[in-house]
Order: sequence, then C-alpha cells, then structure tokens
Amino acid sequence: MEIMIPVWAQSTAVQVNNKQLTDLRNSRIALLDDNLDEPFTSHLEKLLSKIHGVIVERLVKPLGSAPSPKTLIEQAAKAEVAIVGIGL
Amino acid sequence: MQAADSFIIDDYDQAIELFYERGWTDGLPVVLPTRRLVDEMLASCGRDRHESLGAIPPEGGKATIEKLAINAVMGGCRPEHFPVVLAAIQASLAPEHNLNGVLQTTHMCSPLVIVNGPISRELKFNSRDGVFGNGYRSNAAVGRAVRLAFWNLGRAFPWGTDKSTMSHPSEYAFCIAEEEEDNPWEPLHVERGCPPGSDAVTVFACEGPHSVFCYGTPDEMLYVLADSMCSLGSNNLHLGGGQILVILNPLNAEEFAKRGWSKEEVRRYLWEHARRRLSDIRACGVVVTQFHEQFPAGLRYDVQNSKTRVPVTSRPEDIHIVVAGGRSYFAAVLPGWGGPGGLAVTAQIKRPLT
Repeated sequence: MEIMIPVWAQSTAVQVNNKQLTDLRNSRIALLDDNLDEPFTSHLEKLLSKIHGVIVERLVKPLGSAPSPKTLIEQAAKAEVAIVGIGL
Repeated sequence: MQAADSFIIDDYDQAIELFYERGWTDGLPVVLPTRRLVDEMLASCGRDRHESLGAIPPEGGKATIEKLAINAVMGGCRPEHFPVVLAAIQASLAPEHNLNGVLQTTHMCSPLVIVNGPISRELKFNSRDGVFGNGYRSNAAVGRAVRLAFWNLGRAFPWGTDKSTMSHPSEYAFCIAEEEEDNPWEPLHVERGCPPGSDAVTVFACEGPHSVFCYGTPDEMLYVLADSMCSLGSNNLHLGGGQILVILNPLNAEEFAKRGWSKEEVRRYLWEHARRRLSDIRACGVVVTQFHEQFPAGLRYDVQNSKTRVPVTSRPEDIHIVVAGGRSYFAAVLPGWGGPGGLAVTAQIKRPLT
C-alpha cells in the first residue's frame, strides 16, 4: 500500500555559525529581552557587562509570547553572540 | 507525485510502528493515510491540494490542503469532516490567536475547537451529555486531526519547543459543539458575526473544563460562576486580560432565560462580579505580581489601591458564553492564557460546492 507522509522534509541547508568567542571581555552580545521577566534580564545584563566586560545590546521584544520582529532578528544577528532565551 | 511524499509498505503492523519511529504521531496509533483515503478526502473538498492556509508555528511547515488531508485521515476523519478541520486551522492561524505562543508556552492552554451551525447535527458532533468526553467520532476525529496537523507541521514537541510544564489531555483532541436547539440564546458564531444558519468553528486557547456546581436561581448560579471564574492562580488574573470561557448547560440557560436574563446580561454581571482584590493577587508573590503589571492594557483600575477589585478580563466581551453539556447541575469554566493571547477566533466552514 502507498502511505502518504504527513510532514515536510527537514531542511538540509547548512547553517554557517559565527566564530566562537574565546573571551567575553569587549565582546558584543545581543540580549533578547522577551519582556516577561525584566528583573532577571536586567540582572543578567549587569553580570555580563559589569563582571565580564561585555558590551551588551539589549533588544526588547514587543510581546514575549510572539515571534521577534524581523528587524529585531537582523539587529541581533549583527552581534558576535545573541542570547535569544532565558529561563526562570 | 514525488517519491518523497509517499512510500510503499505492505505490512500494516510495520507501517503503524514506522509512524512511531519517525515521530509522526502524538503517542496514539493512527489511521494509515493511504493514498486512496487521502485522495478521497482531497476530491471531496474541491480545493487545490497545493493551496496553503499558512505556516504552522514554530517550525513553519506549510499547511497545504494535502498535508492537512493526510493528518485528517490519520486522526480518523471522513471526507465530510475535512471542511471543519480546514476552518479550525484557518482560525487558529489568525494573528490574535498567537498559535506560536499557544503551542510553546509553559502554560497548559490548548486551542479548543467549538463547532456551530447545521453541520454539527449533520455530522453528529456531541453538544450534550459528555460534551468534553469520548464516544463521538466527529468530536474526536476533528479534534485529533487539528492536533496532528500542529504536531507534524509545527513540530512543537514536549521536551522540545513545547514548554508546557503540565499540559493536559486536550493535546490529543479538544473539540466540542454548541447545543443550539436546546438553547434560548443566539449561538456563539452568530454572536461573533456569522449569519444565522451558517456553519462555523471558533478556536480559543484555554485550560481544561473546571467543574462548577451550578443550579438554582439566576442569583445563585451567578454567584458560584463568578467565584469560580476568579480563582487565584488563573492566568486571567495574574497575566492581566485575555479571555475566559463559561459553559452553561441547557438547563442553566433555560433558567436564566425564563427569568428574563439575556446572554449579554449574564456576561455583564459576571464581568462586574468575577473580581479579586489586588491585594489577594499581590499576596501570591513577586513573579505573578510583576507579570500582572506587565500588561497595562488590562489595568483599568487604581493599581495604588490594594482594595481595588481586579476583573478577570479587561472587557465584558472577553467572557465567552457557550451552551453545552447535559441538563443538570454542572456548568464549567475554562480559563484562558491571559494577556499573551490565544484569543477566540471564528471562521466560517466552507462546504464544497455540490
């Protein structure tokens, strides 16, 4: 019998990753603020910048539960590293 | 047809197991989507198999008519169920429903499909006793077809991007019909702008039904409903705003109507009385208080006054009232996701031209 496949084939495109950081100091990190936990995100920002010398670019999502707007994703992509999610 | 869209296998048991191995099922066995069954479904709906209703989040698999037909067969649908599935998918992809968030939130909400119109009786959807339960093919098959489409095209899996920490069995199937005959009021879809006599589905992301012992005079019924709607811990209170669903059984609705209450008056009363003091909500802790203040759209009251009584939704119209279930002393409340979305969306069912 012929069975039809319920999913789409997975993308086989090769994703090119940024070079891994060897030192946090003076690196540029995009911190995506999902607008759900402002104190926790601010604490992380402070740890990165004050203790590890990171240049943090904080990008605020309009709504934590919806996908980031394209412009925000493009902005995050310009950094060396992007933190795209934090957990409580 | 491209070879990658199908495969040949002769052993039934092996085929069932293959669906498990490849992660194409939700944990239950499926009806095998043979080419014959899928083609029969596609032929019945009269739509282009390549037409897409949109991208199912989070992975963004295209919801083509063909892929939806495959998943509908797997869920146990007959061709006559397919237009209901298509309308449910269309509604769930509306931006205000925020399916991306609904399928990945830590909360336990899930899109409930509510069927209205003559198609409900024609296809024997259950709208009466045991409305949320088992035993009815249409409720089960349409509900499961929708969830399998989310599973296979959106691919938000538990321990993956589906972050629901509790979830509930609605992730297998969650579909009811409104009781329209034993109902003194306008049905949900007409209230939401569809013509009387038309067929429609409404999707709303909510928790499972919370039982409410609801019997007696309108005052008595309203008292217990209002109290049940605003229990602490509900996202509607803590994540300000959103929507909530109240299911009244036909006897409840009849009692209200006999004493002159319209649905709108019941809704208004519940909005005025389903409230908690701000101090009660704040007593629940820092996190929820902080969430609450993150959604200022819902805060239409004095936040400096701890005696302020916070409504369960921002507006009366965010309380949905549906008549369903057995004539008895039980109603149900289904809290929503709160401020982040999962809002109710209604789509008309497009029957194929005959």
